[in-house]
Amino acid sequence: MERSGLRSEGGIRDVILHAAIFAAEEMGVVLKRTSYSPNIRDRLDFSCAILTPDGELVAQAEHIPVHLGSMAVGLKNVMREAERLGLSMEEGDVVIVNDPYIAGTHLNDIMLIKPVYYLGRLIAFVANKAHHVDVGGQVPGSIGGNVVELVQEGIVIPPTKLVERGRLRRDVIRLLQANVRTPRYVSGDLKAQLASLNVGEVAVRKLAEKYGVSTLLDTWSWALDYVEAYTRNTVRELGIEGSATGEDYLELGDGLVRIRARVSFRRDSVKVDFEGTSPQVDAPINAVFGVTVAATLFALKSILDPEMPMNGGFERVIEIRAPKGTLVNPVRPAPVSAGNVETSQRIVDAVYKALAQLLPSKVPAASCGSMNNVAVGGRGWAFYETIACGSGGRPCCDGVDGVHTNMTNTMNTPIEVLESSYPVLFIQYKLRDGSGGPGRYRGGLGVIRAFAVLEDNVRVTITGERVKLRPWGLQGGLPGEPAEYLVVRGDGRVEKLPSKATVSLNSGDMIVIKTAGGGGWGDPRLRPKSLVEKDLREGRVTLEQASKYYGYKPSQKNRLDERRGY
Amino acid sequence: MPRAGVDVGGTFTDVVYVDRGGIRISKVLTRPREPWKSVVEALDNVNADLRQLRELVTATTLGTNLLFGQVHLEKPKVVLLTNQGFEDVIEIGRQNRPSLYDPYFNKPEPLVPRTLRYGVPGRLNYRGEEVEALDIRYVRTVAGRECGDNVVFAVSLLHSYANPRHEIMVAEAIRDECPQAQVVLSSDVDPRPGEYERTSTTVVNAVLKPLLSQYIEALRRSLESRGFHGKLLVMKSDGGLATPEEALRVPAAFIESGPAAGVVASATYSRLLGVENVVSFDMGGTTAKAGSVVNGRPYYTEVYEVGGKVHMGRLVRGSGYPVRYPFIDLAEVSAGGGTIAWVDRGGALRIGPLSAGADPGPACYGRGGSEPTITDANAVLGRLPEELAGGLVKISRELAIKALESLARKAGFTSPFEAAQAVVDLANTVMARAVRLVTVERGLDPSEMSMVAFGGAGPLHAVDIAREVGVREVIVPPYPGVFSALGLLLSDYKKILVAPINMELDEVSEEYLDEVFAGLEAEALEAMDSMGVEKDRVVLARSLEMRYKGQLESIEIPYRGLGEARSLFETLFESRYGFYSPEDPVEIAAARVEAIGVTEKPLSLLKKKGSGGGGGPTRSIRIYLSGEWVDATLYKAEALGPGDSVEGPALVVFKDSTLYLPPGSKGSVGDYGEIRVKV
Repeated sequence: MERSGLRSEGGIRDVILHAAIFAAEEMGVVLKRTSYSPNIRDRLDFSCAILTPDGELVAQAEHIPVHLGSMAVGLKNVMREAERLGLSMEEGDVVIVNDPYIAGTHLNDIMLIKPVYYLGRLIAFVANKAHHVDVGGQVPGSIGGNVVELVQEGIVIPPTKLVERGRLRRDVIRLLQANVRTPRYVSGDLKAQLASLNVGEVAVRKLAEKYGVSTLLDTWSWALDYVEAYTRNTVRELGIEGSATGEDYLELGDGLVRIRARVSFRRDSVKVDFEGTSPQVDAPINAVFGVTVAATLFALKSILDPEMPMNGGFERVIEIRAPKGTLVNPVRPAPVSAGNVETSQRIVDAVYKALAQLLPSKVPAASCGSMNNVAVGGRGWAFYETIACGSGGRPCCDGVDGVHTNMTNTMNTPIEVLESSYPVLFIQYKLRDGSGGPGRYRGGLGVIRAFAVLEDNVRVTITGERVKLRPWGLQGGLPGEPAEYLVVRGDGRVEKLPSKATVSLNSGDMIVIKTAGGGGWGDPRLRPKSLVEKDLREGRVTLEQASKYYGYKPSQKNRLDERRGY
Repeated sequence: MPRAGVDVGGTFTDVVYVDRGGIRISKVLTRPREPWKSVVEALDNVNADLRQLRELVTATTLGTNLLFGQVHLEKPKVVLLTNQGFEDVIEIGRQNRPSLYDPYFNKPEPLVPRTLRYGVPGRLNYRGEEVEALDIRYVRTVAGRECGDNVVFAVSLLHSYANPRHEIMVAEAIRDECPQAQVVLSSDVDPRPGEYERTSTTVVNAVLKPLLSQYIEALRRSLESRGFHGKLLVMKSDGGLATPEEALRVPAAFIESGPAAGVVASATYSRLLGVENVVSFDMGGTTAKAGSVVNGRPYYTEVYEVGGKVHMGRLVRGSGYPVRYPFIDLAEVSAGGGTIAWVDRGGALRIGPLSAGADPGPACYGRGGSEPTITDANAVLGRLPEELAGGLVKISRELAIKALESLARKAGFTSPFEAAQAVVDLANTVMARAVRLVTVERGLDPSEMSMVAFGGAGPLHAVDIAREVGVREVIVPPYPGVFSALGLLLSDYKKILVAPINMELDEVSEEYLDEVFAGLEAEALEAMDSMGVEKDRVVLARSLEMRYKGQLESIEIPYRGLGEARSLFETLFESRYGFYSPEDPVEIAAARVEAIGVTEKPLSLLKKKGSGGGGGPTRSIRIYLSGEWVDATLYKAEALGPGDSVEGPALVVFKDSTLYLPPGSKGSVGDYGEIRVKV
């Protein structure tokens, strides 16, 4: 193990770094408690961070994986851009930005940055990023739709002063309000973000007061060295040398677009190269570089060490290369709103596929690979939800049934809440039997969620995936069942939808979402009979699957108990 | 008349026994198979006269242990009846996973297997109107098929909070077919929207019902066979007292009441000293817990996950089984005496979550442990006496130094003493985080609060932590090691009732609110009456839960009429978050009534007789402080009396705990045996 040098300051650096991480957490608590939009308060779609005076991220509290690392990339861009624009950050200033090509995710994620001064000296920046429910553009919620360029997706904010020497610029807020569908939310959520920055600022100043500015600045640089050393040692302990390539696809119109990731391990560093990925498209599934970094880091961290600490130090160990003008590093004016939600999932799949060749005993089979986004709206109302699915079978055990996977982890909205707020009636919400890919370790089951609408002229927009290409298995495991998005009309007609679609419903029509199951891991014929029988008893596997894939023959002696709840 | 408080924890069972002769305490190991025997054993230890015992109050963390099979009682078969098409709501939960980055995560195993979940045809809408008739024949078939002696039927139908009719029909059909079965209805135990949480609450109640009743019956039998005919009371998770009958009705509201007792103890005890706003700080062998009390009232949370995991002091959503009852809100961090310090791959020092536990325990206990723990670090720094727990444990400083030496080598410290200092500093930072969670993050100013420190290790770290977060006074009660059990004797009956309002402030009239409050109060008084509490001992308090329209979290304000509501809300909001929005509409989320049935407390018996004798015999010791060894004083707590004072650097050694006073801190002994430290 690589050892850090002798400590001149005892354990003070450890104490200060912990305190900084806790301060970032506290910023998050304030943001969550005071925010208005459901994306922030329920779905925790936000992050808070503390940075060095050079703009290196030292401590972060992130609640959804898409901000992992994208925050570090975005903040550096913002610093560079601010300098280019001659935008100096004085004491009491706060800068606002959401331009995806600078801030690193999509327009909904508005980022605020505040410099922290102590006795006139710049000692840190505090920053946060939060998903605002609507930033204008073609469709309510500002994600997806039939767009071909960024400006169609909503208002683009370059680095701009939101607060100038302690004074809130109401003109900026009014400008934003005039460009979005939910003006009250935007101002409320920005106030919540400002309150969160204040908490971070006070905490960092207190650290300077208690330990002195030079110890604080020393700690920042040590913190980056520490994450570098941690990451290097993690990679070195794996003891692998070599490269492998993984490819996977997204569904677009009648065709497919490719993501290719080549992962190379060299002694104590990793390189991930997306050379060979399809060019950017005139559709919102382009993922800006920050999103690509986030998805790649998620995949590496989850397999290498889920507890791996993260700050700017990772960049010294993990090199990510994404050719300009591709799906994973588009150039202006490509639209990018759905890159966060669907493309990020596929990037994880491609990196996992490469890692599975290098670390076969550590990588799970493909999860359902989609967030199954459903936006529903009628006259004067709208809601948006994402629907869980099956996770991939794992080298130790089955995939998990009915759960959000990889880049998303947002909660569902209770059916009782939806029915009392909107004209909908749910028909089903249950696990999708037989959808898990067969394997020694079975893929997790997808979910069926179905509801009827109770008024005419309701529009439903689906942004999904894996309708054509099924989630893959590993080591002899078979793929999971593909997703199905259906409309069942009041007269019983069934219409099958593609993975991205907008439909109009009338009262009595029903939408049925069947999410994909995870891929299986290992040869299904090696699955112990007792587990196959348990799955059969519980209805998770069909009798047909059991005999076809698992070689199951029901014996007289072993008759299944038919007394099931289903 | 004698009373006893019994705190049945996972590792230890603590008893505090009070009669005219004063206080007697005992700590024994909890027997996981027969916890009631530990209660009797501990009562024997204090020579309790069970015939004379008027009241025995018990708190327990057993609920969780019962659920996870650590206590060996037979689990019931629970059958769930829910709506057709929604049988898996209990398994899908809120669809999130409990850990973001670990691909090997699992959701908690559903408490009802899929083969025992039945979907009943029939449906209500959100207004409680029937959309589809209930298929009662289906229910009869299921009830007949699953009927047995140890079966509990849990019933949770969509929108039953708006109209319980379908659930009641299901219950009647079950009772017809299977008269011996127990039935738990969601509309009875948690009538609020949110189908997953309500179903989960119903199922947890169903599982615990027979388990808890076995425990309470066994306890009652063992006590009665020894002549006990007094009153048996149980503490709820909200810190209030209730009868065993209430505990059997909603057992899920009694989970984890042991830690709640510590907060109640802090509230009541400090009030006795004239202090109303306190942080409770409880540090034991594996964790440290902090809670807060404002104007004598603890903070609550409305959702808790049984068996859930904790990350950075907070419960991780989706890691356990949700139950919706008021719980005293505690922040918990893995930093206890037995918590292990280690060096990670990047060379940083880390604390926990691994713990050496009670076996083998810290290295310095000499029972085979070799990993450096927080207790070892304290031993190396000279902050522990030579023996703990009245001589039960001898401390070996040599073994502690050995353990810290190996840590020092790995982390690059120059000496085991420097490493020990770093371990204690880092542990204090982590624990200060828990204290900040329950103060600063709730908008409370620590400099206006006192910290009540207890638990085996609490007083050892309290003064340093108080300095870290800006608390100015630390109160160490007598018997800090069994303080939670003492708290049981200082608590009141309690019933909290909440009615959802969800209307904008200007849409609500005072007449309407008065009507809602009056309804809640009548219900509360009825509940008190059923527990045998006389009306003139009941104190009622009205409050409102308010928020800006569109926000999720509300703030509770005392209700003094609608006129003051908005300004009270905004004052509290601003103090908590640093801003308020005069232009935004304010919403009343709920009306709330808290009923307290005041008990008679043995306060006069707690009062110390006589006065101190100047601190008794002291001894000079050496402790390590920021790089050098300095002289310090060692006091014996039992020799101190009212009026005595102690000055840091010093140790005050209790039978079951040790108080560390850093230089510059000064404590004085009060009338109730407490030491109040100016930090």
